[in-house]
Amino acid sequence: MAEIFIDNERFEYSGNVKVLQFILDNGLELPFFCYHPALSIPANCRQCYVEAGMPVFNKETNSYELDADGERVIRWFPKLMTACSMDAADGMVVKTHKTSELVRRGQKDVLEFILINHPLDCPICDQAGECPLQIQTYKYGPEGSRFEHKKVHKPKRIQLGPRVILDAERCINCTRCVRFTEEISKTNQLSIVSRGDHNYPSTAPGREFDDPYSLNTVDICPVGALTAADFRFKARVWEMASTPSIDITNGKGCSVDLWTRDNLVLRITPRFNEAVNGHWMPDAGRTAYTVHNENRVHKPHLKVDAGHVPTSWTNAVMTLAEKFAETRSGDILVLGSAHASVEDNHALASLLSTLGKGRLAFVPHIIDGAGDGFLLTDDQAPNTSGVRLLGIEEASADDIAGAAKKAKLVVILADDLVGRGVLKASDLAKAYVVALASNLHATAQAADLIVPVTTAAEHIGTYVNVDGRAQRTIPAKETAHVDRRVNLEMSMGRLDHFGTRFDNWVSDRNRVDCIPAWQYLSQVAAEACHDLGFADARDVLASVATYPAFAGLTYERMDAERGVTLTMEPIPA
Amino acid sequence: MSVDWKSYTPQLIPNIPDLHKISVYEANGGYAQYRKVLAEQTTWTPEAVTTEVKNSGLRGRGGAGFNTGLKWSFMPKPDGGPRYIAANGDESEPGTFKDRTIFEFNPHSFIEGALIAAYAMRITAVYVYIRGEYRSWIRMMEAAIADAYKAGHIGSNIHGSGFSTDMYVHSGAGAYICGEESSLMESLEGKRGYPRVKPPFPAQKGLWGRPTTINNIESLANVPLILQIGAQAYANIGAKNHPGPLLYGISGHVNKPGVYEFPSGMSIETLIHDVCGGMRNGKKLKAVIPGGSSTPPLRADQISGVTMDSDSLRTAGSMLGTAGMVVMDEDTDMVDVLWRISHFYHHESCGQCTPCREGTGWLEKTLHKIKRGDGEMRDLDLLLDLCTQMEGRTICALADAAAWPVRYTVTRFREDFEARCKSTIYALA
Repeated sequence: MAEIFIDNERFEYSGNVKVLQFILDNGLELPFFCYHPALSIPANCRQCYVEAGMPVFNKETNSYELDADGERVIRWFPKLMTACSMDAADGMVVKTHKTSELVRRGQKDVLEFILINHPLDCPICDQAGECPLQIQTYKYGPEGSRFEHKKVHKPKRIQLGPRVILDAERCINCTRCVRFTEEISKTNQLSIVSRGDHNYPSTAPGREFDDPYSLNTVDICPVGALTAADFRFKARVWEMASTPSIDITNGKGCSVDLWTRDNLVLRITPRFNEAVNGHWMPDAGRTAYTVHNENRVHKPHLKVDAGHVPTSWTNAVMTLAEKFAETRSGDILVLGSAHASVEDNHALASLLSTLGKGRLAFVPHIIDGAGDGFLLTDDQAPNTSGVRLLGIEEASADDIAGAAKKAKLVVILADDLVGRGVLKASDLAKAYVVALASNLHATAQAADLIVPVTTAAEHIGTYVNVDGRAQRTIPAKETAHVDRRVNLEMSMGRLDHFGTRFDNWVSDRNRVDCIPAWQYLSQVAAEACHDLGFADARDVLASVATYPAFAGLTYERMDAERGVTLTMEPIPA
Repeated sequence: MSVDWKSYTPQLIPNIPDLHKISVYEANGGYAQYRKVLAEQTTWTPEAVTTEVKNSGLRGRGGAGFNTGLKWSFMPKPDGGPRYIAANGDESEPGTFKDRTIFEFNPHSFIEGALIAAYAMRITAVYVYIRGEYRSWIRMMEAAIADAYKAGHIGSNIHGSGFSTDMYVHSGAGAYICGEESSLMESLEGKRGYPRVKPPFPAQKGLWGRPTTINNIESLANVPLILQIGAQAYANIGAKNHPGPLLYGISGHVNKPGVYEFPSGMSIETLIHDVCGGMRNGKKLKAVIPGGSSTPPLRADQISGVTMDSDSLRTAGSMLGTAGMVVMDEDTDMVDVLWRISHFYHHESCGQCTPCREGTGWLEKTLHKIKRGDGEMRDLDLLLDLCTQMEGRTICALADAAAWPVRYTVTRFREDFEARCKSTIYALA
């Protein structure tokens, strides 16, 4: 095993490793800006300076030369080295800022240089609070600046594309965004333009930065130069709570963090998960934050004449139970959903098998050619594999449209079948339609009873992606029935911890009156005098885990292993 | 060392009319060395040519002064894939204008040298990268290369020797940084001229990831001469550790500025007083920049006995660089000179690495403050501090090139700077 000494501590390594990555992997610290583990190494920020040297090897004695104290004689490299680009070598000795005055000076010098033309507008900058430049300046930077001249002025508020805005003055030219479009999204839409201290990233003249992955550049920007058009100026980082979750807009199910404040999802950022999405996610998954906030169904609604009126939960439960009781099995069409969790679909299947009536099927939401072989998939739903593994019948759109026209009771679980063209509103005209929906979409509008259900930001749910990876969500938003302080699994931001109910940052306005679909369905079962045995999402998953395909699946495993890969064998019906 | 310069006959830019025409060049022994090498491939194996150039002691004329033959020997063994020479004609450092004379008066000597180098390294294509501002010389080179193609010196199976290579001219777009070898390659590949991190070195991974050697135009123009007179005879020309004919580009306050070809190791005093006809208007000498604006300037009292070769200039406290000498008389204000040089490096920093991108601008702004009469004494310390923060801390040497003139001008001509600073309202600060 090769050895390397970092700040007088001995480490072992094998293979080709770069010193900076090795330092980070061992939980040590070294400041850097331009380096990113998933991108090429340009070594342009010059922040990760270290002193490095090699022991002098005497070929005649076949051993390292020793000095009077019996220590190895080290031949130091004459210049400060950038750890990001330096290969570790056997016997190498590295000094970081912890042990070298020269390195401390070098890091301070670079920060002084970066800051001379960087606007010190942290109080109004979106990046403040999660800004590597801010953090490293506090830790390693100079106390003040000796720069007494006018800063270079560059364009501000450039709309690079529909989703990304550039403040060129804040840019420190690390080129992470440029390398991202070159190496990861491969659109090559960004390049550095101009020269010297007038440099900034830009698109080619007249072109838009409409890369389907453009918002990743906002995440990797180490300063506030690139900001998301949607999120800009909306919230300070420390006001939000972040909750691990998954992207529900396509079949990949990228690991994400949901950032919430006052029960609104304000932004969605990717969470590193090597088995699914690496560091990245598509823009579509981020702009879907509105799904959790806007156009929500609040309280159950019954159709009266042409419009919908709110009704009670009791009424919503009893109505569906009665409809099940009075309708012949052959006239009942129940539609599961690839947009709903494994738990919800399983509860639906359990209800039907308990009642012993109705046809259960689902229509996959797949658009051929929508995928790109990277993080976008043809599959537009997060849980198609999960529904398949539950053994729910997969039906074609035509089949379902025909069946819906004949049915007397149609129950639709969290799927906008009208909106995505599987059904027409007229297909549902004759039947009594119950839509379990989180948003007031076209299907919900066509329904006789709308049951508001939680979104992925409000419930615990398991979703199985196109590759058979089962991942789960954790509630990030409170509903009218859930309290952050009581539900110990919910994350708390600084304001959640220290604010009170009477502070002006929080309101009940954004707590939607909805419950998870499995909970509603087990209440319907209870109304029909059946106990599904589901008091908690864990009970539902425990029941799901009796299927061979889901054997051994628990939330704890999915948390610890960042998802569990299932074998994609469908269950015999 | 005294060099017999008066009886020296120019070899690189000989005084032959119309030498840029291929017929005239060939009538004067042109392409003979190239034909000889191709005809006698058993004697002149590629390795033998490389060794001959290495033994001649020819050192690169682009500024760094690395042994040219040694550089050639770093090329890995051919693996059947393409291999390149990038000939660097991007000279754009203030004070340097020597390659221009080769393009203008003797382009075929360069082409012949490049072709011999191509043979020695089994090169499949030679790219001639010429500074974009040299419009007319780019056209001349294109014409010269077209003539050489027509004469069968370039192409496939050249003169039936089994050796094939191609040659292309590529115009730069006006960036000084593209004279740095790795950004030159980026530029040739059609990318933004950002220097590359080394290693890997160009011989391992150069143009399009293939083995590449970058040579200066003047270096390659020396190659036919080496084969003509032999490595030993070449090594005997001029200074011992830096032999060969050298193009001295002399500008500034002398009576006859211009490009002069003499053996290396000429004394600076001889160049100024004899070759260039002395100082303009009989003024006294104040400062000499010996090898382009990035080399540290020497005071008049530092040049006595100093010769134009790397050893002597290093001892004196400067560098040979490109031998583009700038001579300044007693009326010169070094504050203005240094500001102008710093302005150049600020303008030309590519902006890739932090210390250079920010440091060059800060240097220029501080010097401008001193120049316009707002300077303070502490600004001088700041300038030296900034140099320390830039030197040796970037990917390429542009930060060094920007910092050295500042460091050495401020320390060697401190009285000029102090005088400016002390005449301000901040004099007592």
